[in-house]
Amino acid sequence: MAIVGCGKIADGHVEEIRKLPELATIVGVCDRELLMAEQLAMRFALPRFFDSFDALLDSERPDVVHVTTPPQSHVALAKQALAAGCHVYVEKPFALDQAGAKEVLDLAAAVGRKVTVGYLSYFEPPALALRQMVARGDLGTPVHVESFYGYDLQGGFGKALLGDADHWVHRLPGKLFQNIIDHMLNKIVEFVTDDAPQVHAFASSLRSVRTGDVRDQLPDELRVVIRGAKVTGYGTFSSHIRPLAQFVRVYGTRNIAHVDYVARTVTLASSPRLPSAVGRLVPAFEQGLAHFSAGLHNVGSFAKSDFHFFAGMNHLISSFYKSILDGGDAPIPARDILRIAGLMDEIFRQTSGWNGRAT
Amino acid sequence: MTTLVTGASGFLGGALVERLLVAGERDVRCLLRVGSSRLRLEALARAYPGARIELFTGGLTGTSDAAAALAGVDLVYHLAAGMSGAAADMFLNTVVTSKNLLTALVALPRPPKVVLVSSFGVYGAAELPRGALIDESAPTEQHPERRDSYSQAKLRQEKLFWDYRKQHGFPLSVLRPGVIYGPGGTAISSRVGLALAGRFLYIGGDNILPLSQVDNCAAAMALVGSRPETDGQIYNVVDDDLPTCRQFLDRYQTQVRRLKTLPIPYPVMRALSWAAERYSRFSRGQLPAVFTPYRTATTWGGNRFDNRKLKALGWRPTVSTDEGLRLAFAHFRAAGSG
Repeated sequence: MAIVGCGKIADGHVEEIRKLPELATIVGVCDRELLMAEQLAMRFALPRFFDSFDALLDSERPDVVHVTTPPQSHVALAKQALAAGCHVYVEKPFALDQAGAKEVLDLAAAVGRKVTVGYLSYFEPPALALRQMVARGDLGTPVHVESFYGYDLQGGFGKALLGDADHWVHRLPGKLFQNIIDHMLNKIVEFVTDDAPQVHAFASSLRSVRTGDVRDQLPDELRVVIRGAKVTGYGTFSSHIRPLAQFVRVYGTRNIAHVDYVARTVTLASSPRLPSAVGRLVPAFEQGLAHFSAGLHNVGSFAKSDFHFFAGMNHLISSFYKSILDGGDAPIPARDILRIAGLMDEIFRQTSGWNGRAT
Repeated sequence: MTTLVTGASGFLGGALVERLLVAGERDVRCLLRVGSSRLRLEALARAYPGARIELFTGGLTGTSDAAAALAGVDLVYHLAAGMSGAAADMFLNTVVTSKNLLTALVALPRPPKVVLVSSFGVYGAAELPRGALIDESAPTEQHPERRDSYSQAKLRQEKLFWDYRKQHGFPLSVLRPGVIYGPGGTAISSRVGLALAGRFLYIGGDNILPLSQVDNCAAAMALVGSRPETDGQIYNVVDDDLPTCRQFLDRYQTQVRRLKTLPIPYPVMRALSWAAERYSRFSRGQLPAVFTPYRTATTWGGNRFDNRKLKALGWRPTVSTDEGLRLAFAHFRAAGSG
């Protein structure tokens, strides 16, 4: 394995790859700033570091390349790695637009190499549990899905981009949203399966501080309504709602599932089985019991050292490597990558006229 | 003479600019990132109407702002550094920014003198016996991978400056301050202990706390910058009459506010760190190894500190430790902070 792009997220990739020694070894890391490659190699005792991607590919000949650079370079680096015969894991967002995503996926198909993208939440333990519930028919037929993604602009990354007018986020077509909302949209796309559903998007900013530069043009609140032929979805991205929450609710014809990605719980809301006032007493206890049970499950996972921050990334990387070794399907279908890229294109088209007021 | 101060809006940066003005400097260029607070520097500009204090907005994420900021400069005080965040961010904001500054600096026909603010964190204290004297000849860290990200970044930054000096030959002096404190600074250093869940884990015990009052530190910087014989030299910056962590905390609690303290003796902290590191390894990083025996030995192992080299240059702390603590604690009490 090799990693290109040695910023903060590369730490997570190194840590998770190293948990899979039976599948992979990191042979080198690369960053166009050699000092950044050096620091990653130093902290994790990695064998080689480079400031030239060409040199890394030539000298180490990795089987898989993880692209963890800023999004502007994803397509070019992924294509270069594919052309060199590597399989490629690309951090989200996969590309700057759907056309770029298609270029990479088409090339991967042409050269017979696999590609995946860092949709970690697809493989978080609660997401896996939800998928089992849906497959069992616990929800009935899904009718609507609501995806909420809370973001902390006062966190390290938020401070960095708000403190630097030249930060690469400000040059993305979809700015902050483009770097984050894959995590919001991929939970919707799993249920809204149309190729091109109707989209209505609204952006705004609730920040009061004005800097007089490009940072003032950074919206921090987004609402999206998505209408498919059978299932509808709402997406909420908020930088101001507290507490920070990340959840998805899937509304079915029998039950409603609530998946909390922060607390890592999955609970079901069911129709009362008893009549009248008694029927209204019971659900609160059922909900409490469901949360208690989910909490106990988490304690058990923790005790088994199976409650890791990047559990989803580990599952994704492991699945991706196994798909390479056994020739199976890549863990994330190319169609989903394209559909999410298409949704993002449409959302940014609709919100591009944002001027400080909701559009 | 034109002097450039990077990180001028910071705690030490503001004190340094003031010190330079007091010392008679009349042309100071302050490099500020967009959005940095300018209040103190603007107040200084009003207080010294005869001086030219240029607030130069720019960053060191590339070389272009650095080159513009360096135009016509005779002396550079480089204070800008990452103070928090992920390891990669810290490295980016400390080391890569330094490289950009150096790239622009060595491209000048006559590179100016540089005074770099490094840190006590570059010393390899974990491998010294408890109570060992740390002077400028003490070994620097040989195992950066075992240290915290701040120390890793400062160590690499300092090496970068020495490498560039060796290659390009510009005058360079390095200062390694201890715990810089004062009104507006950090109330309690991690060398004393750590706040956790409403408790203050008091770990420092009777270790000597290597304090450097912010104005004393700024005066040391100004002095080193003004003296040609400091080229190629390293200076520790700590005050006289250093208190122990216990004395510091007692006084803090008397003069600022009471804390719910939980004393943790050093051997217990070593044992806890050992367990934390083992558990992190066992659980494959489910909980990060924030505490390790090596880091614990570095921070709480207990050393003595030497400032004789700086004193030989003529520096003396103008603010006594007793007075410095009184002023700092009065500030924290009034601000309701700490």
